[in-house]
Amino acid sequence: MSMNPTPYKPAKRTRGDILHEQMVLRGEIVENKEPVSHKKFIIISSIIMALLIAVVVVSFVRVDAVESAALQGLELPKDAAYASIYMVGKVAGIVIGAGYLFFALIHVLAPKRRKPNRSFWGDLGIYLMLAIVAVAMAFPLVFSIASSLKPLDELFRFPPKVFPQHVTLDNFSDLFVTLSQSYVPFSRYLVNTVFITFVGTFGHLFIASMAAFVLAKYDFPGGKTFFSIVVTALMFSGYVTGIPNYVIMSKLKMIDTYWAVILPAFAAPIGLFLMKQFMEGLPDALIEAAHLDGASEMRIFWSIVMPNVKPAWLTIIIFSVQSLWNTNAATVIYSESKKTLVYALQQIQAGGVARAGQAAAVTVIVMLVPITIFVLSQSNILETMASSGLKD
Amino acid sequence: MKSLAANYITMKRERLHYDWEKAKRMKMCYLFLLPYALLFFTFFILPIASSIYFSFTNYNILEPPKFIGLQNYINLVLQDEVFLTAVRNTLVIAVITGPVGYILSFLFAWFINELPRWLRTLAVVVFYAPSIAGNAFYIFSIIFRGDVYGYLNSILVELALIDAPKLWLLDPNLMMPVIIIVILWMSMGTGFLSFVAGLQGVDRSMYEAGYVDGIRNRWQELYYITLPSMKPMLLFGAVMSITSAFNVCDVPRALAGYPSTDYAARTIVTHLFDYGFSRFEMGYASAIATVLFLLMILCNKAIQSMLRKVGT
Repeated sequence: MSMNPTPYKPAKRTRGDILHEQMVLRGEIVENKEPVSHKKFIIISSIIMALLIAVVVVSFVRVDAVESAALQGLELPKDAAYASIYMVGKVAGIVIGAGYLFFALIHVLAPKRRKPNRSFWGDLGIYLMLAIVAVAMAFPLVFSIASSLKPLDELFRFPPKVFPQHVTLDNFSDLFVTLSQSYVPFSRYLVNTVFITFVGTFGHLFIASMAAFVLAKYDFPGGKTFFSIVVTALMFSGYVTGIPNYVIMSKLKMIDTYWAVILPAFAAPIGLFLMKQFMEGLPDALIEAAHLDGASEMRIFWSIVMPNVKPAWLTIIIFSVQSLWNTNAATVIYSESKKTLVYALQQIQAGGVARAGQAAAVTVIVMLVPITIFVLSQSNILETMASSGLKD
Repeated sequence: MKSLAANYITMKRERLHYDWEKAKRMKMCYLFLLPYALLFFTFFILPIASSIYFSFTNYNILEPPKFIGLQNYINLVLQDEVFLTAVRNTLVIAVITGPVGYILSFLFAWFINELPRWLRTLAVVVFYAPSIAGNAFYIFSIIFRGDVYGYLNSILVELALIDAPKLWLLDPNLMMPVIIIVILWMSMGTGFLSFVAGLQGVDRSMYEAGYVDGIRNRWQELYYITLPSMKPMLLFGAVMSITSAFNVCDVPRALAGYPSTDYAARTIVTHLFDYGFSRFEMGYASAIATVLFLLMILCNKAIQSMLRKVGT
């Protein structure tokens, strides 16, 4: 066999590389994988590009023919062949185009040195699949944003188009007109939601962090049992407790107050769980040193532990804001003046055809808040989730 | 034998005494735990207990609960056909969206793991966004709208695959597939994030060691190295996806209507809402809640014990 131990210069040699090279030199491993050359990449990408161009050209030629026929007053040929070629062209164009772009970007931007155990075709397949699924996942969200920018007549045109022909913000301004005419002023709903979200989130953060601190850092009788009960609560949280909670709230005379939403949110098990798992990663020495210096537990918690778990509390804030922002709370709050923003917006969405444009605008407003918060804080969230595992 | 038993009792008593002394020394721990424990007890433990209690009674909030034994459960199984539909639908949704959503979450977390950082971030946002986008699934009521202006209908009519628009959200036979697709779209939630973060944390030197030891492709790497070191995240993700797979409520309500045609899209949770908050038959609703609670806990325990065997 041809001995070709170093076909390209690795950027940084790891222990594994060195061992591997030694084994190749000793003949213990038969090196049969060639590193991917740019030639191969260029060939494959040109084939994909050619396919894409062909499909798009064919579809457009057909469309042109049909449209000119229509202009001359001829009847539109409604044969399936035309329609299917047209549609296949559109869909394939989008999919292949996105996949190709994705793949090309990876190859240009990824480090030159390829990882071991990664076949070229495997990478290609995975990148293409990722691109296709990402397009499919993003489509409904893109479609809702596009719909909110369409004038009413375009929302009901046949055949419907994904992107608006005449972009307009009328739906948003109409929405504000509708909201300003509502029985309760719009600002009231906003204040309600902001109050519930703010109080619920910070109360939850404080209460859950205190509990998480002692559960993570002190070994006291009952602590482990308590935590395992909280983990079990993760398994049924949600609607199971809805009915009895209503009864409990009515006994506590809290129906139709903000507290019916806020108090259960204080005790959300997911916050305690994530916080405790993250705090376990803090070195014990930090706390012991503070003890030796004579700091009280509250002081340790407040000025040593909390500043060191910033990613975790950001994550808790975000999870809590997401769930509270999206509550419509209609089952426990009856007075119109205490209803939440999402509830008011859902009423507009239910307004039928006449309000279809405003409904699309509502969807966009409701969805942009949590997504924006997530985008801004995703690195902290991911850092926290790294310790989210359930240990045996 | 007697001395053994006596020994055991003294041991227990000593243990209890030791714990008590320790607890007294660590009073402040309980102080820290107290606010959370109180709230948790009131809004999570007490509801479960009272829901089990109410399920044996006839209770409508206004009158005091009347004990009626197993009557609620008997009615559920023998008289309430809608409940059986609800159970069937919930199980169908849970059995399909639970495992598929879980596996997809893991696969895509694994696929994007080796992308450059900025691209990975973008991919995480794209995959995770549907699950936090509030009621963005509302857009599916336009995509699947029953008239010809619906996006899917217009495509299919244009393709001449169907000659008349289909009532995706009103036809009892078509509702469930549509709902399942929408739920799958939203299924990359907290578990997905946990997988992404966990995969980033797998020790790189393990892969190098594995390479030297003769691992030759990505699937072997996945099976022998990645999956065993991801076990805690896999367990957490399973809890998250089982819980959300059973808690299906908003999507069928928003898309198929409430109530849906022939109750074809009814789930246990919408049934619960119907009896609890529309008819205020709290006793009956509690029986439904108890059934749901047991289903979720049993399913979770079974899956947990299955997943603990991964890679061992």
